[in-house]
Amino acid sequence: MLKKFASVRKILTLGLVLSIIFAAYSIYYKITYWGFSFWPKQTTKIWTIEAHVSFTPNGDPIKVSLASPYASDDFKILDEDIVAPNYKVKKDDKNKRIILTSDSIEEEQNIYYRILLFDNEDAKGKIAAPVPPAPKKPIMDEQMAATAAKLLKLADTMQGDEVQKVIRLLNQTPPDSTVVAFLPMKKTQKELSLAISRLLSLKGIPNRTARGIKLEEDKTSFSADLMMEAYIDGVWKLYDIKTAKKGKPENFVLFQRGGNSLIDVEGGNDSSIKFSVMKSITSSLNLAGKRAKLANQEDNFNLSVFSLPLYEQNTIKWLTIFPLAILVIVLIRNVIGITTMGTFTPMLIALALVKTGLIPGLICFSIILSIGLGLRALLSKLNLLLVPRISAVVIFVILMMQVMTVLGYRFSVDIGLSAVFFPIIIMAWIIERASITWEEEGPANAWREVIYSVIAAVLVYAIVNNEVTRHIMFVFNELNLVILFIVMLFGTYTGYRLTELKRFAPLVRDN
Amino acid sequence: MFHWFGKLFANYASPKELREAGILGMNRRNFNVISKYNKRRLYPLVDDKVQTKILANKIGINTPGLIGVIEYQHEVKNILEIVKGYKEFVVKPAHGSGGKGVLVIKDYDNDIFTTTSNKKLTYNELYQHISNVLSGLYSLGGKYDVAVIEELVHFSNIFQDYSYQGIPDVRVIVYRGYPALAMMRLATAESDGRANLHQGAVGVGLDIRTGKAVNAVMHNLPITHHPDTGVDLMKLEVPFWREHLEIATKAYEMTGLGYLGADIVLDKYRGPMMLELNARPGLAIQIANHVGLAKVLKKIDKYYPKKLGPQERLDFVLKNN
Repeated sequence: MLKKFASVRKILTLGLVLSIIFAAYSIYYKITYWGFSFWPKQTTKIWTIEAHVSFTPNGDPIKVSLASPYASDDFKILDEDIVAPNYKVKKDDKNKRIILTSDSIEEEQNIYYRILLFDNEDAKGKIAAPVPPAPKKPIMDEQMAATAAKLLKLADTMQGDEVQKVIRLLNQTPPDSTVVAFLPMKKTQKELSLAISRLLSLKGIPNRTARGIKLEEDKTSFSADLMMEAYIDGVWKLYDIKTAKKGKPENFVLFQRGGNSLIDVEGGNDSSIKFSVMKSITSSLNLAGKRAKLANQEDNFNLSVFSLPLYEQNTIKWLTIFPLAILVIVLIRNVIGITTMGTFTPMLIALALVKTGLIPGLICFSIILSIGLGLRALLSKLNLLLVPRISAVVIFVILMMQVMTVLGYRFSVDIGLSAVFFPIIIMAWIIERASITWEEEGPANAWREVIYSVIAAVLVYAIVNNEVTRHIMFVFNELNLVILFIVMLFGTYTGYRLTELKRFAPLVRDN
Repeated sequence: MFHWFGKLFANYASPKELREAGILGMNRRNFNVISKYNKRRLYPLVDDKVQTKILANKIGINTPGLIGVIEYQHEVKNILEIVKGYKEFVVKPAHGSGGKGVLVIKDYDNDIFTTTSNKKLTYNELYQHISNVLSGLYSLGGKYDVAVIEELVHFSNIFQDYSYQGIPDVRVIVYRGYPALAMMRLATAESDGRANLHQGAVGVGLDIRTGKAVNAVMHNLPITHHPDTGVDLMKLEVPFWREHLEIATKAYEMTGLGYLGADIVLDKYRGPMMLELNARPGLAIQIANHVGLAKVLKKIDKYYPKKLGPQERLDFVLKNN
């Protein structure tokens, strides 16, 4: 007897361990490649950036070299698209440039480059950078060198780190006379960045300019921002050249680093590049497929429930919570030892409560039950046969639901509206069972059965009606398998139930 | 700090205490005893009272005489013809349990039927009751059922003072053919004439060798006197004890169930009779006897000889307990 018992438990335990290992790997896989998370983050921001390049051709063959953005860990490129008819497009991934070539054309040219970025909020972190060589000393005439030296000395009186001191000094208002000698009063961003770069190089701090755009909602036709990057303490740090603010501004995407320009046009004049940004919000799960594609994990993804249309996904989301509810029922019955009406009745009530909300649902449940019991008491006087009688109760329930819904709508009482969510047949059986128990064993027993069932339902509800639980059970649906083995293992649980500890207590407490 | 916690569980025993006392819990009963010794295919033998009766008669176990069976709705109107010549009769669902749907008619003419608790039913009400039985109202799982009409048991006067109305019966738990524990169930006013312990009937634990009371409980708590009749329960002694146990012991051969509960009543004229068998007998018998069932089952597993006939097993129990 013991031998067989032990082996069943062993097999199930092994199954449980294997399913946990599988689930752990699968969860890791989904987080890594599909971007799933334990928290129900409903949406992900998607940025559409449109770069509009325009220039006037001068008759020579055209070659346009455009900087493409750096995919960082915090912004991933979802999709890109170039609208440039008559051009040959080549991508230079190493230098992050897109090369467009064409024979000579006459008229004014407009090229659109569109990229979709998604905000990879889960993975924002630091990027390691290779150590750059020491900067070359800038070449300056004697007078300029003296001014620069003076400026560096002045900079020491400013606040912040080495880089910030320089930036702050050059941006001082009103500017110091020494600054004016070094930099014109009306300076362009480019002149300012050049001045900063020269002073930093003089100090021996590796630096480079960087261009990027700040992602803001519905910005149109603006130029890229110029930033300064300096290599300090082993990492490249980004500085705003006006405010000296350190670090990458929020929602900032880098397009280009170092001396190269954002755009080079051969065979054209008056080139300009203007950006537009549009923000859109999309469900995180919608993006999973694209993320999987980026990670070359498409095949696995297409076999998962997340590749289904949204409607089917929602149905499955509803289904995946059931195993957890079932586990709670198993605990209530076999470990706590509460007897309820029907095995899964409390679970079905609980799932209805999820849709209606706890208090309105319970009130609605009580109303249906009380009226139903009243009507059922009248029915029992008619001495109908069982099937027609229970059928009549089912129709009662349906009629009650209609009346409650209409009244609820008329008087804007949500409680009435929630009536339709209760499973009709289950309600009818609860009424039938309660009324039979009432007749045979008295109202006290009938109420006890109903109340125990409701308590069990509320317990299930408390666990099931949690956004995080629901999210986790759906997104990591391999947990269903783990629950399956846990439930089966409970099938071999031979310990005492909680209620038995009380029931049999008189046997060990001698009076 | 955990004072409130302690208070909350003051009425609870620890699992360790129960284990040491050899108390059998529901989970262990289901997993280690029932699913091991009771094959599913044998259940219909005890769940269907008609089959049980036929089997019992074959093996020579006394049961209340069968008057007739009503299988179909259109036969219900024949009820008066079926019971013709009988002064009294019992209607019960073949697949009922716990006394549900049992109607005991002690006297009737063509219109009025009087039950043992002096309730008067009209013919229509009787007709309705039988219809309810057929439609499965009282059967396990609500399946269509048949109504069994059988002879009334004439209760021995010996127990008259021990039971408030209702029918006292003896429940014997038989494990692998050996009577393990026994109790007598006595109806009270609170249990409304029924012998169900959870409805407030009195359970009197009986010594398995002698049939004498060893302990009595009501609502799981020890008592010494019947709450309604006031009689001293400790003086209870079941006569024809060997015959009682014989029925229980033979039930093992009859059904092949390794764990069963036999419900036996004592008829004034015919002696002990088997009323019904149960393939999933409850655990309240432990409380009535103030003994853990697991302990008894373990003893039977370990020390009782296997492969004996019913009479030999009976002798073994009566001598060696």
